[in-house]
Amino acid sequence: MDETRAVPVEMVGISKSYGGVQAVRDVDLTVRAGEVHALLGENGAGKSTLMKVLSGEVGGYRGEVRIDGVAVHLSSPAAAQHAGIAMIHQELDLVPALSIAENVFLGREPHTWFGAVDVRRMVRETAALLARAGVGIDPRRPVEQLRTGEQQLVTIAKALALDARILIMDEPTSALSEHEVGQLFGVIAELRRAGTGIVYISHRMQEIGQVADRATVLRNGSVVAEFVARSMTAAQASEAMVGQRLEQLYRPDAAGDVGEELLEVHDLTVTPRRPRPGRRDPAGISLRVRRGEIVGLAGLLGSGRTELLETLFGVGSPGRRGGTVRLAGEPVAPRGPRRALRLGIAYVPEDRRLAGLALDHSVLANTVLSVVDRIARFGVVSRARERAVTTDSVERLGVKIASVDSPVGSLSGGNQQKVLLGRALLTEPRLLLLDEPTRGVDIGAKAEIYRLLRDTAGRGAGVLLASSEPSELIGVCDRVVVLSAGRSVDELETASTSEAELLAASMGGGS
Amino acid sequence: MSTLFRFQSLFGLVVVFVAAVVFSPSKNGDLLFLNSQNLFNVVRSISEIGILAVGMTLVILIGGIDLSVGSVLGLASVGSAILLVQNDLGVLGAVVVVLAIGLGFGLLQGFAVARFGIQAFIVTLAGMQIARGLARIWSGGQGISITYGDGPGQAPVAFSLLGERTFDGTVPIPALIFAVVAVLAVVLLRVSAFARHVYAVGGNEKAARLSGVPVARVKIAVFGICGLLAALAGIVHAGQLNFGGPNDGAMYELDAIAAVVIGGTSLMGGRGSVVGTVAGALLVGVLRNILALNNIDSNIQLLIIGLVIVLAAGVAQLRPASAGTSERKIAT
Repeated sequence: MDETRAVPVEMVGISKSYGGVQAVRDVDLTVRAGEVHALLGENGAGKSTLMKVLSGEVGGYRGEVRIDGVAVHLSSPAAAQHAGIAMIHQELDLVPALSIAENVFLGREPHTWFGAVDVRRMVRETAALLARAGVGIDPRRPVEQLRTGEQQLVTIAKALALDARILIMDEPTSALSEHEVGQLFGVIAELRRAGTGIVYISHRMQEIGQVADRATVLRNGSVVAEFVARSMTAAQASEAMVGQRLEQLYRPDAAGDVGEELLEVHDLTVTPRRPRPGRRDPAGISLRVRRGEIVGLAGLLGSGRTELLETLFGVGSPGRRGGTVRLAGEPVAPRGPRRALRLGIAYVPEDRRLAGLALDHSVLANTVLSVVDRIARFGVVSRARERAVTTDSVERLGVKIASVDSPVGSLSGGNQQKVLLGRALLTEPRLLLLDEPTRGVDIGAKAEIYRLLRDTAGRGAGVLLASSEPSELIGVCDRVVVLSAGRSVDELETASTSEAELLAASMGGGS
Repeated sequence: MSTLFRFQSLFGLVVVFVAAVVFSPSKNGDLLFLNSQNLFNVVRSISEIGILAVGMTLVILIGGIDLSVGSVLGLASVGSAILLVQNDLGVLGAVVVVLAIGLGFGLLQGFAVARFGIQAFIVTLAGMQIARGLARIWSGGQGISITYGDGPGQAPVAFSLLGERTFDGTVPIPALIFAVVAVLAVVLLRVSAFARHVYAVGGNEKAARLSGVPVARVKIAVFGICGLLAALAGIVHAGQLNFGGPNDGAMYELDAIAAVVIGGTSLMGGRGSVVGTVAGALLVGVLRNILALNNIDSNIQLLIIGLVIVLAAGVAQLRPASAGTSERKIAT
């Protein structure tokens, strides 16, 4: 590597915390002109936060960012763009109804001399950018008509239009086909020759070896290792990402007694009536959960974990189903949450703010929601009963609150998650489905949530837990089923699997 | 602090009431405003809007809106008159039929909202036209006067009670009906499992659905109740005026929405109360009354009511947001 190259970006001693949670701690990072710098780490390691500091999306950080040796304050995305920094987000930030050209020039439309938007110029320049990104799509087509992979390439074209000196790519290949990945790498090589510095976030180890010069590994918000990308092995990287862990965080007790078969999924497929881009419906999933067992669902982003849980709960994509799902021997296909709950299936969704809680409403209202008609007599709810049920749940789960009347939005992430879990447990489920139950939750609350899951399983329920944290899956589950592209591709006994092995298995299936 | 915001409209009502006492003109040493006859008139004057606003509160609590209530009121008043005068139905028969029409109309709108996912604004905008059209077709475009007696073409005398007063001629019957509706609604929202579902649908519909709340059924029921109450208001309207007017009730939906908003119910849904709405309706009634007693021009009255709506909404905005809604999500 050429150590003498210009260093347009230096981040020195960057720290950032959200509420009480330290997301990034005293990180130094440099990006040189014409290099691809890979950023590695598990979910929650601080990669995105660090990059959001650099792209001006989060303020209130400590430390210093220097551009060409001059300290700057990146207070907004516009300020970062002005400094020559652009970010391509993992979530596609395109306006679906607008055309590709309109998206590419959104907010900086060129004008003709009499003030109208210069559509011709927009289309012409967009076509050139798309050609550089290796896609031959008509720039006048609305974005909503494109496949996810094409949309991803459009976001890349949009970033190219900014002529940034530093380009941040957050998992740019997660939605791309192999062919499209090849095209993207072509673009990256070209940018590199032109002297653009690139920060490349990815979970796919072989890609990093192919495309990156240097790799920095983050864990719990701090830099723990740096590698020359070409000579880094997957095992080295995984080990650095996982590190030494608090073993006592997991397995508060030894695994309980495992009973008879509870959930049997055999070759489950869903052919959606109206396919939606970005969704990965089950395309051949088989797995079993026995009573008293916690089974994990592993897999990369877009492997179809959430879609599987939704299908089991009756809220998946409408369409034709294939294969069988049996609950305690009975074939089941719930058509909606009410029926699923009646069958004894409960679901804790991934996004607790969007799909889980009414944040303005009280802890009480949120806790009893699933059982409020069950604790009512002739439609009349006894306030005392409601209060007793909530107090009981709050105490059992160790939710820390001033009063059950406090709005649930005023609680910390961990306590919100416990309220959500409490609501699900009040339905006394036979099968508990959880999607990323500890995302954004501090370590103490994590441990308590794991204990609750173990207790629930210990009382004879089956638990199916989707997570993108290998340490969590290894630490909490009895078995882990690995999904890739909507299929179950592997099954591992956690007792004899290391985190690095699980990580490798998840990434091995990457499409 | 939070209690103040929770009962902002009650607080506002007290302020307006005190102001009314202060600015009340007097006659022979008695304050005209505080005269019991006058106070009951205030309640009677808002009883129709108040009944509509109670139904509207439920609809707004689930994050919806019902623009059709004014037209349904017109349809119900025409219907009452025709059924009593031309079809010689008894009071009970006419009332039941008209209430059923309102209920059915609301249920249909709820069905369109819940099952087809059309926005409530659009469904009830259409419903507003349809109900008005039905009222005009049914009546042939002419208002129908209600005369009382035993003969054919005359309505039973019992129906005229709606224009009377009870308890020794003090309490107007419409005010009594409004009070009963309001109390029933307050109780319903306090104790029922249904109410918990209503608030949950408005607070976070997706979460409600995933928690097993029958979202579609809740929506249909709420629109049904709103239609039923609009029909009830229409019956009261016909009884007070002894007349069924196909064009009556126009813009009432906006007065009802105003009462709900002044009452502190959030148009985003999930937050608010019938107590607030009742206070909001009374506040407007008292304000109109005191302005009228002071011979303030009715156009100026409109300006003042408009300012009060903005003020109420502004105060509601000051309400401290729960910490969680502003807290940033941790993403990595």
